[in-house]
Amino acid sequence: MYRLFLAVRYLLTRPINLLGMLGILLSVWALVLVVSIFSGFLVEIERHVRSASADVSVHRLPAWASGKALEQALRDDPNVRDVAPRLVHYGMLGRPGDRPQPPPLLGRTALHGGDQPFLLVLGVDAAAEAAVTGFAGWLRAPSIPPDLRVADPTAPLAAADGTPRVLVGLERMQREGLRRGDRVLLTTGRLQGDGDGQKGLQQISLELQVAGAFKTHHGGFDGNNVFVDREVLRQALFPDRPDAVQEIAVRLHDESTLSATTDRLQRLVVRALDRGDDLARGHVQGWRDKNGQFLRSVEHQRGLLKIVLVVIMVTAAFLMLATLSMMVTEKTADIGILTAMGATPLGVLQVFLACGLTITAAGVGLGLSAGTLTSVYLEEIRRFVLWATGVDLFPLQVYNLDRVPCALEPLWLLQVAAMAFATGAVVSAWPAWRAARHDPLVSLRGT
Amino acid sequence: MNPPVLEALAVTKSYRLGRREIPVLRGVDLAIAQGERVALLGASGAGKSTLLHVLGLLDAPTSGSVRFDGRPVHALPVAERARLRHRHTGFVFQFYHLIPELTALQNVLLAGMMATSTLAWWRGRRAARAAAEALLVQVGLQDRLHHRPAELSGGERQRVAIARALLADPKVVLADEPTGNLDSATAAGVVELMFSIQQQRRLAFLLVTHNEELARRCDRIVRMQDGVVVG
Ligand SMILES: Nc1ncnc2c1ncn2[C@@H]1O[C@H](COP(=O)(O)OP(=O)(O)OP(=O)(O)O)[C@@H](O)[C@H]1O
Ligand SMILES: [Mg+2]
Repeated sequence: MYRLFLAVRYLLTRPINLLGMLGILLSVWALVLVVSIFSGFLVEIERHVRSASADVSVHRLPAWASGKALEQALRDDPNVRDVAPRLVHYGMLGRPGDRPQPPPLLGRTALHGGDQPFLLVLGVDAAAEAAVTGFAGWLRAPSIPPDLRVADPTAPLAAADGTPRVLVGLERMQREGLRRGDRVLLTTGRLQGDGDGQKGLQQISLELQVAGAFKTHHGGFDGNNVFVDREVLRQALFPDRPDAVQEIAVRLHDESTLSATTDRLQRLVVRALDRGDDLARGHVQGWRDKNGQFLRSVEHQRGLLKIVLVVIMVTAAFLMLATLSMMVTEKTADIGILTAMGATPLGVLQVFLACGLTITAAGVGLGLSAGTLTSVYLEEIRRFVLWATGVDLFPLQVYNLDRVPCALEPLWLLQVAAMAFATGAVVSAWPAWRAARHDPLVSLRGT
Repeated sequence: MNPPVLEALAVTKSYRLGRREIPVLRGVDLAIAQGERVALLGASGAGKSTLLHVLGLLDAPTSGSVRFDGRPVHALPVAERARLRHRHTGFVFQFYHLIPELTALQNVLLAGMMATSTLAWWRGRRAARAAAEALLVQVGLQDRLHHRPAELSGGERQRVAIARALLADPKVVLADEPTGNLDSATAAGVVELMFSIQQQRRLAFLLVTHNEELARRCDRIVRMQDGVVVG
C-alpha cells in the first residue's frame, strides 16, 4: 500500500511532474488526432477513387484481341454483372488554333492533376458504361452548374450535326472557360506499320463539340480523362478493325469476393487470349489494385507521420525522465527510513516506478480523451476557428471534401496507449532502479 | 531474568575502503531481554550506530550472528528481514527522518502500510487511523495531527517519530541518539515519554547516547570502544 500512497503524495507535492504528464498528453493527443485525420482522409480518398472506378478492369490486351469474344467470355463468369468495352488513348485537347499550355511543374499534379495538357481519352459506349460505372450519375452531379450540364444525359455522346461530342471534367471546363457546344480539337497520333513492318507516327486531329461536364468524387480522374464515343475513336485509330478493344470495364454482382473474382477472370482472360504459345496476355485488376500506387502513397505519408509523432512522444518521455530523476535525487533521503520501516529495495523501486506509471497513465488517459474528442468534433472545431479567426485550418475544397475527414481506429488507440505505456515504463525504470540501488544506511547516517 | 529477545553473538563488521579493510565491530556480544532498557555509550566512531544497524537487520554482520527470539536472523532473505523489521523493530533516529510530504498522522500511518496490500489497507483504514491517532495523542500531539514536519518543532518531530516506531507494536525499539538534536528541556520530555512507553509496553529498548546521566536511568549500561564492548 505504501508504494501507491507515497507515489501519489510525492507527485501531488511536485507540480513539476505535470510537465512530464503534459508531454505525454500532447504527444498522445497528436498521435490520435493526426492519424485519425489521415485515416479518415484515406477512407475518403478510397471512396473517391472507388466512385470513379469500375469494379474490375481488363487491360493490356493485344492489338488483335476481339472485343466481342472477350466480352462474351467474361459474361460467362457467375459474378460478372455487366461489361463495357473501352478504347483508351492519349491526346491533347484545345481550342482550334490555340497552342497547348506548357506542362506544369512536376509534382503539382500528384494528388489531383487536371492541369496538364495531356489527357487520357476514353472511348466508351454511353449505355454500356452507365451499366458498369457511375457514368450516368457523373453527368448529373449536383455541383455541375446548369449551363455546363449535358443536355441529354441518356445519349450524352450522340453526334450533333455531324460533329462528335466530348465530355470534359467539370474543373477543367471551368478552368479553361469551356462551354457546352464549344468546338475543340483533340490532337493525338497513332503508330502505323508501313510495308516493311516499320512503324511511324501518324498525327490525328479530331474536331469535337463539348457535350458538357462530368464529375466524379475523384478529382484526379476528372482532370485527366475525357470521354468520346468509342466508335468515333475507333474509326480514327483502328479504321480497319471494327472489333478493336483496349480495356474492358467489369461490374460484379458481389464485390466482397473481389480478389477471388479477379483471379478467376485473369485465368479466363489468359485462356481466351491463348494462341497456343504459352504467353499470358491481358491483365485483370480490381479497382483497389489499379489505384494502388495512389492509395499507398497516402498510406505511406500516414506511416511517416506516425514515425515523427512517436519520436515526439519519446522526446516527451525524456522530459518525464528529467523530472523523475530530480525527484529520486531529492527523495533518497527518505529511503533510509522506509527501509527501516520494512521496505525492500524492490519496494523502493516500485514507489518510483508507480510515480512514473501514474504520470504516464494520467497523460495517456487525458491524451486519448482529448484526441478522441477533438477528432469527433473536428469539423465543429474547424468551423469555430474559421468563424472566430477567419483561418481555415483545413481547406476542404482542395481535397474535394465537404467535411474534415476523421476515422478513429480503436486498434490504433490501443497501440498508442501501449506505446506510451512502454516508453513511460522504460523512462521510469531508470530513476526507480537508481533509487533501489541507493544504500539506505547512507540516508540514515546523513543529516 | 527474561530470555533475550535480541542478541548479538561475536558480531564483527568491517567496511572495505578501496583495498583496505576497516574493522568497525570486532566481536561484539550483546543481549537485550524483554522489558529491559539498555544504554549504549561510547566515543564517537566507536561503532554504536553500526551495531544498532546490524541489530536492526539494516546491515549485515561480516561474521557472527544476530538472533531474534533465539532464532538466527541475520542471513534471512531480504524480504524476510524487511518483514521482521516492520513487525518487531521500531527505530528512532537523531534526525527524525520524517517524510516531509506527509502530515504527522500520515507519517505514522505509513508505518502501518508497509506490509499490507492496498485492498487490505482500505478495509482496515478506520482502525489503522484510530490507532495512529491514539498514538499521537499518547505522545502529546493531539493538536498537531495534520501538521507537516516543517511545521513542527524538533521535539514534536521526535514525538511523531516515536509514535511511528510504535505503530506496528514492535517488541524491540532501537534509538540512536534520539535526543542528540534537542535542547535539554525538550530532550527531558522526550526521554520521559520514551521511558514510560517502554515500561508500559515492556519493550526491549536499546538507547545509544552520549549522555551519562541518561544512561544511568537505564537498567544496564554497555560501553563500547573501538568496536568492542568494554563493560
Ligand atoms: N560505509 C562506511 N564505510 C566505511 N567506514 C564506515 C562506514 N560507515 C561507518 N564507518 C566507520 O565506522 C566507524 C563507526 O561508525 P559509527 O557510526 O558506528 O560510530 P558511532 O559510534 O555511532 O559514532 P557517533 O557517536 O559519532 O554516532 C566510524 O569510524 C566510521 O567512519
Ligand atoms: Mg552514531
